[in-house]
Amino acid sequence: MSVQFFLQQCLIGLTNGALVALVALGYTMVYGIIGLINFAHGDLIMLGACLALSLVTALGLATAGPTATWLGIALLIVACGLFCGTLNVCVDRIVYKPLRNAPKLAPLVSAIGVSFIFMNIGLFWIGPSDRSFPELLPSTNLLPGEGLQFTWKDLLVLVVVVPLMLGLSLLVKTTRLGRAMRAVSQDPTAAALVGVDVDRVIAATFFIGGALGGAASVIYGLYINTIGFQMGFQNGLYAFTAAVLGGIGSIPGAVVGGLVIGFVRSLSSAYVGERWTGAIVFAILIVILVFRPEGLLGRRTKEKV
Amino acid sequence: MLEVENIEAGYGPIRALDGVSLHVAAGELVAIIGANGAGKTTLLMAISGVVPIRSGQVRFEGRPVTGLAPHEIVRLGIGHSPEGRRIFPRLSVRENLELGGFTRSDRAEMRRDIDEVCGLFPVLGSRMGQMGGTLSGGEQQMLALGRALVGRPRLLLLDEPSLGLAPLVVAKIFEVIAGLSARGIAVVLVEQNARAALKLASRGYVLETGRITLSGSGTELAHDHRVRDAYLGEG
Ligand SMILES: Nc1ncnc2c1ncn2[C@@H]1O[C@H](COP(=O)(O)OP(=O)(O)O)[C@@H](O)[C@H]1O
Ligand SMILES: [Mg+2]
Repeated sequence: MSVQFFLQQCLIGLTNGALVALVALGYTMVYGIIGLINFAHGDLIMLGACLALSLVTALGLATAGPTATWLGIALLIVACGLFCGTLNVCVDRIVYKPLRNAPKLAPLVSAIGVSFIFMNIGLFWIGPSDRSFPELLPSTNLLPGEGLQFTWKDLLVLVVVVPLMLGLSLLVKTTRLGRAMRAVSQDPTAAALVGVDVDRVIAATFFIGGALGGAASVIYGLYINTIGFQMGFQNGLYAFTAAVLGGIGSIPGAVVGGLVIGFVRSLSSAYVGERWTGAIVFAILIVILVFRPEGLLGRRTKEKV
Repeated sequence: MLEVENIEAGYGPIRALDGVSLHVAAGELVAIIGANGAGKTTLLMAISGVVPIRSGQVRFEGRPVTGLAPHEIVRLGIGHSPEGRRIFPRLSVRENLELGGFTRSDRAEMRRDIDEVCGLFPVLGSRMGQMGGTLSGGEQQMLALGRALVGRPRLLLLDEPSLGLAPLVVAKIFEVIAGLSARGIAVVLVEQNARAALKLASRGYVLETGRITLSGSGTELAHDHRVRDAYLGEG
């Protein structure tokens, strides 16, 4: 149990956490804009991973040269991003939008229903057993020396996730769409009364959240190397937890929450034992929520003006 | 410029508007007075397309707007400063004002309009970077009015702009509202403060449980004994 071992766990925690955060953003954005916990988000990502696997096979990426591989990965991310974003918008239009003014439980239960439908589609698509996702990236260590391992896979995670997060926060802070998104999340009626097309802003939010999930699905496949039709449940649960931990509705909160979960998972797996990880993560969640019910970066009170 | 013809609207089984008709000419200031729960807010929300109209027709500048989405109605030139102000609490004062001009593409012109609003309400100019939710009630009302003005409406619906404000602030708000007609902006002013509203308005309507029961010029209504008994608090 050396310092080096500890640092290694931190690196693992960082990359894992970045991936969790990318998924958590999808939960937090949809919650922020319409107050819905989109239980289908994890399964949306599972479908993204199915598409990624199909594309890898169809394009023959497992045997491609290095340039083609990187281009292929970029293509996967774009394709799965578009796929998951569009699918998310369709689900909103067909399932959630008619329930916009219904009691909160109605869309929530519908989201659980969508989650099961997605899982069945995944089952049909890739079959009941776990499928291995080909290793597209060499496992050479990018750090000097023997000790710390930081491979191309780890680099890929950060190279994709960090710019996506920066881009998202820039979009929300500085663009016309971003300002409209914040306005709708604070008061949809008031936003409509200044001329914001609320339905379009909600659709855009579903698209962006879904597209980030699509990118996450590709990275998941390349990083974890195993996908299955049930992967959405557990991964969704961790990401949702991250969103709540950070303060659901808060975009920086989702990032912080994701990183916290990543670190806690890797450290507890290394020092306590893999089988305790779930219990430890949720124990920490409960403790934090007891002291800060609004989450780490959430708003303390729901101010109503 | 605005014609409301016999509209009905409500919430589920509740019928809040029961055949309301009224009209507003270009540049005119029309007051709507009525007790709590009479349907004044519902009427403005129905004109703006937020509360669906079940029957009847609303026309703006000759074209029917019934059934359009709220943002489309705003685009046609109907601004709305809603009851309770409803500024965006976690957006800065500047962002609130900029959202008022959301439908506009002339950014430079819009900046000038924001400066002009800050000229009308200097306190807003000194709070541009502050979050809307940190403003006092009066400042929030000024922001709500300013936000609506940045949209350059030709018709402005104002729902209880003086509610709960200190007399000095009320005077300031009414002063600005009085100046709107001079700028060619027609106004529908909903007010609990019937006396002040009828003084400003060229015409007024009295709304009672979803129906218009009286209408006339501002002075006529202010001297009508039924209005005096019910809304002006004198015998
Ligand atoms: N969101 C709502 N849901 C159900 N009933 C409502 C709602 N808003 C208003 N009402 C009812 O509609 C009627 C008219 O209300 P409102 O238009 O707010 O009146 P006013 O603005 O004149 O006080 C009242 O009986 C009120 O209780
Ligand atoms: Mg009202």
